[in-house]
Amino acid sequence: MVTVEKQQYMADLTVDLAPSNPRELVLRNPVIPASGCFGYGLEYSPMIDVQRLGAFVCKGITPKVRSGNPMPRITETPSGMLNAIGLQNPGIDGFIRKYPPTWEHWRVPAIVNISAESVEDYAMMARKLDDVAGIAGIEVNISCPNIEAGGFCFGWDARMSETVTQAVRKATTLPVIVKLSPGALDIMEIASAVEGAGADAVSLINTLVGMTIDPRTRRSKIANLTGGLSGPAVKPVAVRMVYQVASVVKIPVVGMGGISGVQDALEFFMAGASAVQVGTAVFSTPSMLTRLIDELGMWLDSNGCTSLNGIVGAANPAFGTRGESTF
Amino acid sequence: MREFQGIITAKHPVMGDSWLMTFTAPTEVLHAARAGQFVNVLPRERAVYDPLLRRPFSVYGVAPDEGLMTILVRPYGRGGGWIVDRNIGSEIDVMGLLGNRFDIAPRSTHLLMVGGGVGAAPLLMLAREAVARKLSVTYLLGAANAGALLEASEIPGEVEYVVATEDGSAGYHGFVTDLVPDYLQWADQVFACGPGPMFESLRSVVLANRMGKRPSVQVSVERTMACGVGACLGCMVETKRGMKTSCVDGPVFDMDMVQW
Repeated sequence: MVTVEKQQYMADLTVDLAPSNPRELVLRNPVIPASGCFGYGLEYSPMIDVQRLGAFVCKGITPKVRSGNPMPRITETPSGMLNAIGLQNPGIDGFIRKYPPTWEHWRVPAIVNISAESVEDYAMMARKLDDVAGIAGIEVNISCPNIEAGGFCFGWDARMSETVTQAVRKATTLPVIVKLSPGALDIMEIASAVEGAGADAVSLINTLVGMTIDPRTRRSKIANLTGGLSGPAVKPVAVRMVYQVASVVKIPVVGMGGISGVQDALEFFMAGASAVQVGTAVFSTPSMLTRLIDELGMWLDSNGCTSLNGIVGAANPAFGTRGESTF
Repeated sequence: MREFQGIITAKHPVMGDSWLMTFTAPTEVLHAARAGQFVNVLPRERAVYDPLLRRPFSVYGVAPDEGLMTILVRPYGRGGGWIVDRNIGSEIDVMGLLGNRFDIAPRSTHLLMVGGGVGAAPLLMLAREAVARKLSVTYLLGAANAGALLEASEIPGEVEYVVATEDGSAGYHGFVTDLVPDYLQWADQVFACGPGPMFESLRSVVLANRMGKRPSVQVSVERTMACGVGACLGCMVETKRGMKTSCVDGPVFDMDMVQW
């Protein structure tokens, strides 16, 4: 007998992350495991029903195969962790051969996260992904050093962020989400620049650059010296930045940074996010992903909202009386 | 592989400062458990986010008929202390089974086990499996002093149990790896688990004393770990066949394949 999964809520959780793109990116619900924390979707298949997720973002893919950074790559910090994996991945060509043929048969949309060190390499990867079956969208990681600009991070400069976004936009008709770096001086300026350059959505925040030193060895606990800080420790920073960005752009905002449960996710939605990504929390509690979908739906039901739109931007005056807010 | 809530049914102090923690586990997990595999335990309440990450523990033993699993926990650092402070009857949040297993070759009859500290855990599970298969097992365990050794009553009677202490308070006075050369001609396979320096000296004595590639040596390594399922690539081991995850490809590796 086929068991039909019974939905535990009434509210409409669907969201389109690329409303002005003919190829659209419609998600059944707004819960997305974040890049780097969910492998290629296969790793967690024995533990949770991956097909129930709104979408997933795979590990960061680069133009060439990368073996990543030396060990140690991760260390725990108060309510958080630092990582410097170093974008270990099979390279764009190896990736295209290996994973999309499986994803093509999946119900859950797969979003590919891409990283490069030159504008042309970003465009080259987007071109290669454009007509690959099994790929629903691209997330552009602009928290990378621009080798042509002396290693300055793309995502910290509005012009460079704009240039990368334009190049990717020209190279593909796939929905394009630009993932913003919290290291930018003015993240609203960056967000507006990538919106103007044709991004379908923005996602934020990437990790914050951090360091921790072991007094015993008198050395950093990460071989790469610095690592990206993630987990509950970064959540207030992330909520603030999502609020700022959602105040200035019209395209959908995907919020992330320390989400560990429905209460955290609600903060991001109310700040103005249309969807959320969950990263570090997946490591300790994979089942939280699907539980979050149910708890979000049930929260909306019990708070008189028939759809997610009822709470998006509820705490953000820039959203005015949008939607069916009951607040 | 799954998340489950166990109930702690017993706590037993061992090796001076460590605890054997026994908890309930699903039947299919217990039946599937093999020596070398591990579980990741949440070292906190679920709604409190510090310490954040699960802690890996080798399976020390299983009792499928009683529905119980035992792990060996050393209360060092953040996390380990919280786990050993749990009272009997309280819940424990476990993810497993994870990782690969020790592999006893079909024609091996003489097995040498070399353990240091809490590295004793997966080897004890392996010794029980080997004894059940009527294989000859010598178990060498090293510790700082007599009190930090595993009690002989924990070891199956068929196993030759030889101990070494750094202060000479029990057994051989010195490092456990000093004992290894005497057994290398006898052993078909060597299995080891312990701290990094133990692996370094084990490798030195093996390379200096064995004939060709026999006996082979399987080591269970420990790395800081985040996901436990091969997704984060944080716990890598550099091998002659490239970077491998210690959580899925390991924790057991052929010593000759690891780039030391």
